[in-house]
Amino acid sequence: MSSLSTPTLASTPVIGRKKRDVAYLVSLGFLLLVVAAALLAPWVAPYAANAVDFTAIWQAPGAGHLLGTDQVGQDLFSRLIHGARESLLGPLALLALATVFGVTIGTVAAWNGGWIDVVLARITDVMFAFPGLLFVVLVIAVFGKGPATAIVALALAYAPVIAKFTRSLALAEMTRPYVDAYRVQGVGGAFLCVRYIIPNLTPPLLGYLVVLFGEGLMSLATLSFLGFGAQPPSSEWGLMVQEGQSGIIQGHIWPTLVPGAAIAAVVVAVNVVGVRLSDRLNSRFER
Amino acid sequence: MKRNDKFKPFARTGVIAGAAAFTLALSACNAAGPQAQSTPTDVSFGPTTSEAAGKIDSFTWMITQEPATFDLDIDSATAENTIMSNVCERLMQLQPDLTTTPHLAEKAEWTSDTTVVFTLRKDVTFHDGTPMTADDVLWSMQRHAAKGADESDEYANVTDMAKTGDNQITVTLKQRDAIFLQAMAGNGGIVLNRKVVEAQGANYGSPSAPDACSGPLKLGKWSAGSNITLTKAADYWDADSASLADTITFRWADDNAIVNALTSGEAQGAYLDSPATAGPLQKSRKVQIAQGPSTNVWSLIATERGALKDERIRQALSLALNRQGVTQAAFGGLAKPWKAPVGPGAWGYEEPTFSAAYEALAGAPAQPSNDDLEKAKKLVQEAGVPAEPIVVANSGDSIRNVISSALVEAAQKIGLKAEIVTIPRQQYGDFYSDASLRAQADLFSDEYYISKNDPVGFYKNGASTAKVNFVKFAGEGYDSKVKEAQATTDDAARAKLAIDLEKHWTDAMVWIPVAHTPATIAMSKDITGAPSSASFLYYPWAADVGSSKK
Repeated sequence: MSSLSTPTLASTPVIGRKKRDVAYLVSLGFLLLVVAAALLAPWVAPYAANAVDFTAIWQAPGAGHLLGTDQVGQDLFSRLIHGARESLLGPLALLALATVFGVTIGTVAAWNGGWIDVVLARITDVMFAFPGLLFVVLVIAVFGKGPATAIVALALAYAPVIAKFTRSLALAEMTRPYVDAYRVQGVGGAFLCVRYIIPNLTPPLLGYLVVLFGEGLMSLATLSFLGFGAQPPSSEWGLMVQEGQSGIIQGHIWPTLVPGAAIAAVVVAVNVVGVRLSDRLNSRFER
Repeated sequence: MKRNDKFKPFARTGVIAGAAAFTLALSACNAAGPQAQSTPTDVSFGPTTSEAAGKIDSFTWMITQEPATFDLDIDSATAENTIMSNVCERLMQLQPDLTTTPHLAEKAEWTSDTTVVFTLRKDVTFHDGTPMTADDVLWSMQRHAAKGADESDEYANVTDMAKTGDNQITVTLKQRDAIFLQAMAGNGGIVLNRKVVEAQGANYGSPSAPDACSGPLKLGKWSAGSNITLTKAADYWDADSASLADTITFRWADDNAIVNALTSGEAQGAYLDSPATAGPLQKSRKVQIAQGPSTNVWSLIATERGALKDERIRQALSLALNRQGVTQAAFGGLAKPWKAPVGPGAWGYEEPTFSAAYEALAGAPAQPSNDDLEKAKKLVQEAGVPAEPIVVANSGDSIRNVISSALVEAAQKIGLKAEIVTIPRQQYGDFYSDASLRAQADLFSDEYYISKNDPVGFYKNGASTAKVNFVKFAGEGYDSKVKEAQATTDDAARAKLAIDLEKHWTDAMVWIPVAHTPATIAMSKDITGAPSSASFLYYPWAADVGSSKK
């Protein structure tokens, strides 16, 4: 088996080839900064996430409160940093779950073909036909609201798209000579998929998942905004936007603007990084 | 290789564009600017706005939700009452100053300790032109008293009702009930046209049904999901109180949309659910804001769940609660920190006595001092720190967010652990009736009001049999004092008893009072005349609205 040459990743470094890709570098830098802030939240946040101060309500950004305060005087900068943990871990968890489901379904469908492929394709088609948000709300209605349910519900909604994507990648991969060679040697399908095919799908899949991360973050924030996801006193960003709403008509935009802008900035940065990553990984995959 | 773009759970492009547009829109739409403050400056306070100078063709009034029905025996929340107070009339009538006067009954007289006789007016006609009869009145009262009717509790002491003359109804009660006549100014005293209600059957109260009432305005058209119009009753029996406007259109929207409708001139007025909404309206040159007396108080209502059954923990939390902060944060300063569970609108008699007694109340500071916090900590030590965190319910809306955050802060200050649980807004009202829901929280915040201008009407809630006495409060002799107060018709004597009940209640902190919210009205400067008190729920306020100029 060792004499067989399986395709491997090209040796060219993925990141850093286009040194003048400013948008990519700025986005990556920004994301690293956000992740670092989330990891170091207890040490870098000037206040506790839920520290109430009624003497400092609705403050605009200033020296005492870098990004201002909300309706009960909570420091928005501190809440943003603490909330970054939940806001970033949520989409990560949902993508991990969705990837497990999606890759399994997609690979099994591609490998087996025939009626298994048809059945799995029909199931995913049915999922496609169902509006994503409605599906998620239905799951939450049955199992109750909260961040865990929201993550699982969204994972179920995202799994079919990953399954379709994986299936198309796997079908292409299966046309490679090494697959037939292993088959001839009597290597089992499950082993072949897990040991060789799925790892070789990773580069294009990874790029796609990074892009999906942005969608996941937005989707979870949307659910929290609607009251289905994170619950008070969490400082998850979607929930922060929802809680800040009451200030808008009173002229206090910061409690909504700050987390809203954070969501938008992270989603844009993730997409810039994801698209670049996807393009580069895909081009190498196709080679 | 192309990405599979067929399925987009939440389309990426739209999401990004939406996020960006959302944040930009927030900035663009915020005319007041980020530094704007909503501290009240020139809000007048009194029972009414200035008298109208002349008639008006029409105006549009905003409410926060579409009514569910116009059959007030089925449901009578703020939306239904705000509209139907102009259409249906009662035996007694709540006035803008929250006093009660005879109305469809020209006289209500206690003929014995347990018998009250209503002498009915002879000149009242319903909207279909038929005259009001004693049979209609008796039938209406029996309908209100029926089991399951929204106002049936007002008839709890009634043992018999009978027509005792062509224009006379006699009601017999178990005991003399000072509040009963006030209750007849609420929805329990509405007189309906029996013929119309029976002809409509189950359809009565629906969008397609006519009203069965006699007020200065009658139901025009209910376009379900859109608007409701009232039209001037052509031959209203009380010509002096006829409507100044020919047509009134009611539309419903959330607070933000109400602000926009009023500032843009699309609507001419609204009674605001939350005084905080008045903040941005104060900046408008077109809109006037007024506040008036109400009985409304936001309280933290203790449940039977656990730690809050010990009154010392309730007292400690009350001492540590920053009410001043709550009124600023949640109501923009347009509410008042409050020490009792019922507002001053209930002081319909012996007002100076009630006011003085209120001032003397302790245990609910506007802002906790160091002494208050020390006292609170001592109480917690005596009671013992509960093993489980205190759980306060939230529904995710702005006011409850603030109150629950303030409660958590108060608990932390005195060495207690507290956490917030979010209950869906639609389910929140079930706290009063659903023990399994109350098992999820030690406290839930709510705005409570009574329709009578008598504190006894509230403090009966502390009786051992009261449904909302969740912590099983049993003040010494409280039950008998409630009965005695209800049976005392001498105002001075009843005030003394009511104050005694208030003292018992607040000493035990059965509910933790937070803030009194006066009634708040926002109205175009082109119109005037509407009462600014909480009377709009039962008084035909819209009939008084007219042009501010001759």
